[in-house]
Amino acid sequence: MEFNNLKKWQDKLHVCIRCGYCFEHCHLFKITGWESDAPRGKLVMLHALLQGDIDPSDSIAEKIFECYMCKRCEASCSAKVEITELFQDARTDFAEAGYDVTGTTSKTNEDKCGMCQSCISVCKHEARSVDEENDKIVVDIVKCQSCGCCVATCPTGAAYSREGFGLTQNELCQQVKNYLEGGTV
Amino acid sequence: MKINLEKIINIVGKENISTDPGDLLVYGSDSSVHEASACIVVRPGKIEHVQKIVIYANSKKIPIISRGAGSGMSGQAVPIKGGIILDMKRMNHILEVNLADVYCRVEPGVVDDDLNHVLKSHSVFYPPAPASSRVATIGGEIANNASGVRSIKYGAVRDYVLGMKVVMANGDLVSFGCKNRVEAAGYQLDRLMVGSEGTLGIIVEATLRFIPIPKLRCMGTAKFNKLKEAGDSIAEIMASGCQPSLLELMDNIAITAVNKAMDFGLPDVDAILMFEADGMVKEAIDFEMKKIKAICEKHNGFGIELSYDAKERTRIFSGRKKLFPSLSKYKELFACTSLADDMAVPYSKMAVMAQKIHDVAKRNNVIMTAYGHCGSGCMHTKILLDPTKNKQWDNAKNAVKEIYDFVASIDGSTSAEHGIGISKAFAFKKEKHDSLNFMHAIKKALDPNNILNPGKLMDAPDDWVTATRLRYKHN
Ligand SMILES: Cc1cc2nc3c(=O)[nH]c(=O)nc-3n(C[C@H](O)[C@H](O)[C@H](O)COP(=O)(O)OP(=O)(O)OC[C@H]3O[C@@H](n4cnc5c(N)ncnc54)[C@H](O)[C@@H]3O)c2cc1C
Repeated sequence: MEFNNLKKWQDKLHVCIRCGYCFEHCHLFKITGWESDAPRGKLVMLHALLQGDIDPSDSIAEKIFECYMCKRCEASCSAKVEITELFQDARTDFAEAGYDVTGTTSKTNEDKCGMCQSCISVCKHEARSVDEENDKIVVDIVKCQSCGCCVATCPTGAAYSREGFGLTQNELCQQVKNYLEGGTV
Repeated sequence: MKINLEKIINIVGKENISTDPGDLLVYGSDSSVHEASACIVVRPGKIEHVQKIVIYANSKKIPIISRGAGSGMSGQAVPIKGGIILDMKRMNHILEVNLADVYCRVEPGVVDDDLNHVLKSHSVFYPPAPASSRVATIGGEIANNASGVRSIKYGAVRDYVLGMKVVMANGDLVSFGCKNRVEAAGYQLDRLMVGSEGTLGIIVEATLRFIPIPKLRCMGTAKFNKLKEAGDSIAEIMASGCQPSLLELMDNIAITAVNKAMDFGLPDVDAILMFEADGMVKEAIDFEMKKIKAICEKHNGFGIELSYDAKERTRIFSGRKKLFPSLSKYKELFACTSLADDMAVPYSKMAVMAQKIHDVAKRNNVIMTAYGHCGSGCMHTKILLDPTKNKQWDNAKNAVKEIYDFVASIDGSTSAEHGIGISKAFAFKKEKHDSLNFMHAIKKALDPNNILNPGKLMDAPDDWVTATRLRYKHN
């Protein structure tokens, strides 16, 4: 796999001192508890990919596309690692290499879609467009920032993304209940 | 190393294990220069899970490495011999806050700041507070005997541990210590676990004491045009009977790094001392601050500012708190490495130690900074180098050796708070040469199959550069 975009970070990735201070800012890590979901973990993987210490894989690609781009980690990083820009470059490289993963990005259920295109008009990242040839809505997974506006707007429920970090509504309620009762998920 | 996945899945469930190469890589690194790969990451949720996994690992002689947040700086949690990473972060319940008997019981995965957040509502706190308190877990802190900015007055983690439950290498669950402030009932086995870096047992519950939050704090800063004068002030403050609750040094490299990374506007001087006194009575604090101020002035400290304002104190201190990450911004493309980074130094030698750090850096063509919790006797340094060059690692190796030779010559100690792990083992072995046999005997008695975090402390290789893969490619 070519890292045409990521490679510009080759000599800069070691600026991350792996302190883990980003853990407390990452929603995804707070819910799953997996270090590979936190920014530090993802940066470790990207560093290893660039150095050739690990091979690219579906599961790494999936992780890199799992981020809500809230940038809280970046704002608090005293080493000033440009975390989301790095992720964005890695996403472009994975997409160009043909990895078809979803992560936290949105999708469209064609069976439910009435082609009203409201999702396109609310997407400020210009990630959604009409595939004229196949008469369907397509999502550019590199541009999609997982903001969820399309999902909230879609009148037929065709636009969807992974709900509540991969949890169903009921599971989410249970987690909130556990948290309130026991201080943990 | 063959691991029976089904067996482990039966214990913790498949959602709590991973053998994905990405996970193995992430959990094979920490905040040190080291990296290695384990065979599996396992996330126990309760004591019984830990026991079952340990019994299995012991029967197959598979290494087992307990892991908190992986914020250790010496490779303590890096699986140098492969095996099972036991990620303790799911065991993160605060089990009891007992105000009447002044203790709390917590699971090992509780994050320091989270515990203090809960304690704060009762106007008490658990004081060791390493700078990494927002991420470090109680288990990791105990296993490292962490300390921090306020240890000067309040002591290290070992001073707050009353007791603990530990899963031993054969899977037995045992209780060490007690729930009381004092105990003279035989061997202090809870103390043995403090600083054991996961090599003697797995801490699955801790009983910690806490103390009242001081109502008032006053923070001061003093500037110095000579690093030596700041060092001399530290020595005199500590020898004069003052009781600061914080006394931190930052040299010019540290100041520049913070200014670069955070646009902080610290004055461009040779050194800054930050000091604080706390308590319940303003007069007592004023008394301390006056004494400290006078000593700084005697050693040509100037521009001394004092503040009781909480916001201002936080602002002043945030530069220090984020110093380590900021250092990697000091020079473009240079990496900030934790090698000889937390020497315990006698107060009277603080000034020469700071100067020595700069001399060693110059001689070896690397950048080094002198800073730290000098009031508690801890001098930090980081080595900033171009990590892609073999030559720079040779230089770093030389610099580290020179630093530790000097530390030995002034009766200091290899590590004040960050622990030994892999990278400081050679100096540690030299320092503790006459007690290594006892350490080996204890390890053999408690972990005969050598499954608990093997290859660390006295069992770590002498050459840290080749001990594991370094996280930076160099040639
Ligand atoms: C930016 C930064 C600043 C820091 N500042 C300080 C500081 O001021 N003072 C200080 O003391 N340290 C400091 N540290 C070092 C580190 O954060 C602390 O030593 C901390 O205590 C490690 O906790 P952890 O949960 O990350 O442990 P880990 O790094 O995960 O593990 C450390 C060791 O503890 C063992 N361990 C973990 N959990 C258990 C358990 N349940 N049972 C048995 N063994 C266990 C591991 O096997 C390993 O040997 C700093 C680190 C960083 C990155």
